[in-house]
This record gives sequence, C-alpha cells and structure tokens, in this order.
Amino acid sequence: MSVPEGAKVLLAEAVNCDAAAIPDDVRIGHFDLWDSLAHLRLVLAVEQHIGRQLDPDEVMRIDKLSDIAALLAG
Amino acid sequence: MGPLNAPVRNWTSPELKAHIASADNEHRYLIGTFDAASQVQIGFFMVDVESFHRRAIFNVVVGEKSYWGKGVVNEARAALLDEFFDNRGLEKAVGMPLARNFAAVFNYKAQGWRHEGTLRAHCISAAGGPRLDQYQFGLTKDEWVAARRERSL
Repeated sequence: MSVPEGAKVLLAEAVNCDAAAIPDDVRIGHFDLWDSLAHLRLVLAVEQHIGRQLDPDEVMRIDKLSDIAALLAG
Repeated sequence: MGPLNAPVRNWTSPELKAHIASADNEHRYLIGTFDAASQVQIGFFMVDVESFHRRAIFNVVVGEKSYWGKGVVNEARAALLDEFFDNRGLEKAVGMPLARNFAAVFNYKAQGWRHEGTLRAHCISAAGGPRLDQYQFGLTKDEWVAARRERSL
C-alpha cells in the first residue's frame, strides 16, 4: 500500500471505521472517532509497522495523516 | 499502576485519611469525577497550586476502565479549567504525562494544551527498567478562553 494510503488505513483500523470515512485533512481533536484509546492503538500500530519504539519527539509530532505517513516512510 | 508510574501502596485507613487530608483546597485539591447519571465515582483529579505564580499542575486518573476513550478526562478537565481560571485566580495550567502515556498525550493535544518541553529520562520507572521520559504541557488562561471560543470545548 502506498504511504499516504497506508497512514489512512492504519488510522482507520485504530478508530475502527472504513478508510473511506477518514477525511484527508483529519487532525487530532477534530474527528470524533479519533479518541484517546484510538490514539493509543494508532501509536502502537505505527511502532509495530516500523519495528521499533517511537522516540518522544516522534510521538509528539502525530497530529494528522501526513505525520503518520512520514513515520511509516521512515 | 503502569500509566501512572506509581507504586502500589497498601495504605492503612489512617494513612489514606492523611493523604486525603493533605488536600487543603488551597494548595492542593482532590476532586472526584463521577458519572452524572449513576453518581458512581470513576476517577479523580489532583490539582497542586503554586499560588505565587498563579499556576497549577493538573493530575488525573480515571480508574474505571469502561470509561476510557469516552472523553471523560477532557469533559471534566474543561469544567475544572473554567473554575480555576474564572474563579480561583489561576493564570496557567500545567500537565506532565509520561511520554508513553499516549492516551493522556492525546487528551492534552485534543484540548488545545501546548507541548512546552520533553524531560528526558526524568522519572524512575516504578515497574523497573530504564528511566522514563516525560512531557510538559501548558495552557494559559487566554489560550483556554480562545480555545473554548473557537472549538466550543
């Protein structure tokens, strides 16, 4: 899967909805399904995907899809 | 108590009472969080006030797991921020979650708090292992007023 689409799929799995329902401009605090537990699932999924723990600066940067995509791209 | 990084304490009743009594409602507030319908307590806030600086550190626990991920923390904290900023002279709120407490980090960001710094290897891990990183988030009264106005928080 492409990186941007991969980010959307990962977020969709974390928030438990279809990827098509994720707006391209989704951001923390502006999408009801992206709640605290979904965020926990998302960060752990990113770590599993890239095979290492994120450092604190990387965790702090996760606000929107492009941030997730950047982490997946390494 | 992993997310809190606090050791389990087998307090006696007098020890527990002394801990609760340490909240004098001036320098420290211990505030229960309750389900509005059932009146069941689901957690609490501990707010430590530094009066001279008109600043307070907000700590929160939601112990009842069935309430996790339902916006309880930010709903209750919004009411407390209103109270402390509007009626108790507070000018800045501070929150200090562990860096790997991702749910807490989400809540601060979603509520409009600003990341002010990362404190590397700042805490001993109560569970053992390497020292833990911690974030500092901050929110001024003006920022809170603006956030509520813009986002109807």
